[in-house]
Amino acid sequence: MDFAKIIHQTLCGAIAAAGFGVLFNIRFRALPWCAASGALALLVRTICLNYNWSLEAASFAAALSVGFAVHVLQLKADISQNALDVTGCIPMVPGSFAAKAILGLFALTVPNPTGAGETLITAVEYTLRVAFTIGAIGTGLAIPSLLLRVKVAKEG
Amino acid sequence: MAALEAGRLLMEAGASARSVDEIVARVARGLGAERVDLRVGYASLAITVGIGLDGITRMRKVNHIGVNQSLDQELRHLAERLAPAAMTPAGLRAELDRLVTTTPRHSGIVMAVAVGLACAAFGRLLGVDWMGTGPVFGAAMIGQYLRRELATRHFNVFLNATLVSFVSSVIGGLGARYAASQTVATAMIASILLLVPGVPALNAQNDILEGRPTLGSARAVWVVVILIFVTAGLWLGQVVIAEGR
Repeated sequence: MDFAKIIHQTLCGAIAAAGFGVLFNIRFRALPWCAASGALALLVRTICLNYNWSLEAASFAAALSVGFAVHVLQLKADISQNALDVTGCIPMVPGSFAAKAILGLFALTVPNPTGAGETLITAVEYTLRVAFTIGAIGTGLAIPSLLLRVKVAKEG
Repeated sequence: MAALEAGRLLMEAGASARSVDEIVARVARGLGAERVDLRVGYASLAITVGIGLDGITRMRKVNHIGVNQSLDQELRHLAERLAPAAMTPAGLRAELDRLVTTTPRHSGIVMAVAVGLACAAFGRLLGVDWMGTGPVFGAAMIGQYLRRELATRHFNVFLNATLVSFVSSVIGGLGARYAASQTVATAMIASILLLVPGVPALNAQNDILEGRPTLGSARAVWVVVILIFVTAGLWLGQVVIAEGR
């Protein structure tokens, strides 16, 4: 396992999550929690990718970890659990794939495109990866919340 | 109407439909309602409140949906403080006005630097080399500053996305090329990631999973359209500097 890469990805995840936390107007005192959430997401995703999991499966595992960590720890930070969930997973949203998919579709609209079949397949592949990855992140985040709400409702 | 106003503020602050539903119900009960039914739409909210055998329905328009977690958090605290029938509508309105005016926002410069750092980190995650990381930071910082300036002038949100995407991708691409980066095309993409609507995308998924497919679909369509406008700006940038095509 490449530990240097894992540390690098984890740090980048923390910086990206904290940076987007500022954009979402999260207060400075809560930003370390955002950074921790983003770091956990990228740590889990990188380890899973290291074991040759697909991006979608690794993103699902990472989102699930963040969702459970945020809910189980019952953080006392002045930030909602939903905000912390979302901010931590923002670095995993496949914006780059989305842009490449749409660029591929744009390329098909020029007169007499060269390699149209290959371009279309690549664009569809990126589109599916975007859809499945966002689906995986959203589902991974929702499961802990739904499970723990059911548990609370039964206890109540 | 005061409870609906709280719901409108929550929607515009980027809250999920479940949060809006829970908080508005709590606030309405704080005003004395015994029954609360809320319909959360993309551009409007409708509420029916009942006391005894009487009921009343009201609707409220929702403006542009952004993300403001501090205001979201303040509204949650307000709802938690409210005991049933503990506040008058006038008192609640005054409290909501106070929250809107006093909840602090980060300054434009702080936001721009934070977004620059975030996009630089994104760039590293995407494989941008160190030579290209500095230009991504600068391009995203300028892009965020421009986006905020245009937003304060009520510039159309879709055209804003295209313009910012174009400017950021050109600056990021030219900067990376000047710095002899080997990953200029990826640096251009990393420079525009500040525009990717991550929160609405995840909220869309969440709303559908929680039984609100109409709202979730509306959010998803908005996400797709904004991505098309963002990519159009990137495409123009690639044409202008002849990179990545």
